Amino acid sequence: MEILELIQANLLTPIILFFLFGIIAARIKSDLKIPEAISEFLPIYLLAAIGLHGGIEMRNTGFENMLIPMFVAIGLSLLFTLNHYQILRRLGKFNLFDSYALASTYGAVGAVHFSIGLSFLKNQGVSSEGYIAAILAVLEPLAFILAIFMTNMAVAKQIKTKKQSFSDDNAEIDIGLNQTKTKLSKVLHESITGKAIVILLGSIVIGYIIGKEGFEPIKIVFDDMFTGAIVIFMIEMGIIAGQRLDDIKKVGVFLTSFAIIIPLFNGIIGVLVSTALGLSVGGAVMFGLLMASASFIAAPAVLRHAIPQAKPSLYITSALGITFPFNIIVTLPILFTISTFVHSGEGAIDLFNFITEGF
Amino acid sequence: MKLYNVKLLTITCEILAQENIIEILKKHEITGYTTYEVDGNGARGLRGQGLKNEKNVKVEVIMREEKLQDVVEEISRTLFANYAIVLYVSDVGVLRPEKF
Repeated sequence: MEILELIQANLLTPIILFFLFGIIAARIKSDLKIPEAISEFLPIYLLAAIGLHGGIEMRNTGFENMLIPMFVAIGLSLLFTLNHYQILRRLGKFNLFDSYALASTYGAVGAVHFSIGLSFLKNQGVSSEGYIAAILAVLEPLAFILAIFMTNMAVAKQIKTKKQSFSDDNAEIDIGLNQTKTKLSKVLHESITGKAIVILLGSIVIGYIIGKEGFEPIKIVFDDMFTGAIVIFMIEMGIIAGQRLDDIKKVGVFLTSFAIIIPLFNGIIGVLVSTALGLSVGGAVMFGLLMASASFIAAPAVLRHAIPQAKPSLYITSALGITFPFNIIVTLPILFTISTFVHSGEGAIDLFNFITEGF
Repeated sequence: MKLYNVKLLTITCEILAQENIIEILKKHEITGYTTYEVDGNGARGLRGQGLKNEKNVKVEVIMREEKLQDVVEEISRTLFANYAIVLYVSDVGVLRPEKF
């Protein structure tokens, strides 16, 4: 019951209402549009605010505590990506390229999700560990790199088997492997120097340096205006999602259910695991949300180059049109309820036993 | 005024293919080109709205006929299958052929 109430309350927050409003505006074919410069500026602003917030909090908690959650997050993210691939390829019967592209879209993290999560927690009066912003930065390129690596290996293997039926000449396979290497290093370089990671890491460092007192003069922009800025961005997100609503039919029943069940499942695992690691109520929600989120801003830019054979209409539409609305409306309150529940009940150690028994 | 005949290659494609095209041009030692963002409708539906990564661009390149064959061949071989792309060639006259 409590979950339903929370979902209902969440539905009536400005963030969600403006998102739904954006969808409606797109459906009635209004020419409402957020100017391009602003919709490009807002993700940068949001990442800067997330980074500053994270950096300031990290100054209080220190670096040591973040190592274990970070490695666990990396492990989970890779595990989830491989798991998604198996589900999509075997049950969903998607081709290799679409499977890996979708698997990594859902294994990757979303900065917009993250901002909404922070704002949600702020609304509930709950704080979270700052280092989760650093985890966000580390996870950003991870799932893509794995998927690109796996795809190229699979393609190289295919070429190999085809080649062997003709001759034992290995030259072409070497070319294939070399291409894989250059592709991977290029993706790695592009994502690390990409604007998302650069602004996020830069703001974490600056936040760490300036601390609470240094933040005071810019607080009005990066803290007080944070939710307001998300609201403006939500109009844009709503419009884009609304324009894609027709495409959802093309996505199919299987992928639609995948886009709803998988994030929820990943998110709940994330909350339980991070609670077992000793994260706070808010921290576990943010950790779970990272696991639940799907990437729709970074994903097309990376995947279109690295796995051009995959259909972008599939991974963008499912991540932005289905998973994103579902996550911010339903998954987030559920994760919050679960996190509150497991934190109020038994201790972290019991819970860890519970999880390991569960597997 | 004497005009020299060269070829104008125009490519309209999704913005994420722009880099691939410029790489191919570079490989064929063509460094001069003009790009601009465009909207339009085509086989993949209305393009140029919403996310920045889903915009279209138009790339214009002037080159000599000798290079054209190879460039067009490589673009069609590597990009046609996976990207939203339209390509056409026209005859144009230039005043300073040594520039191309």
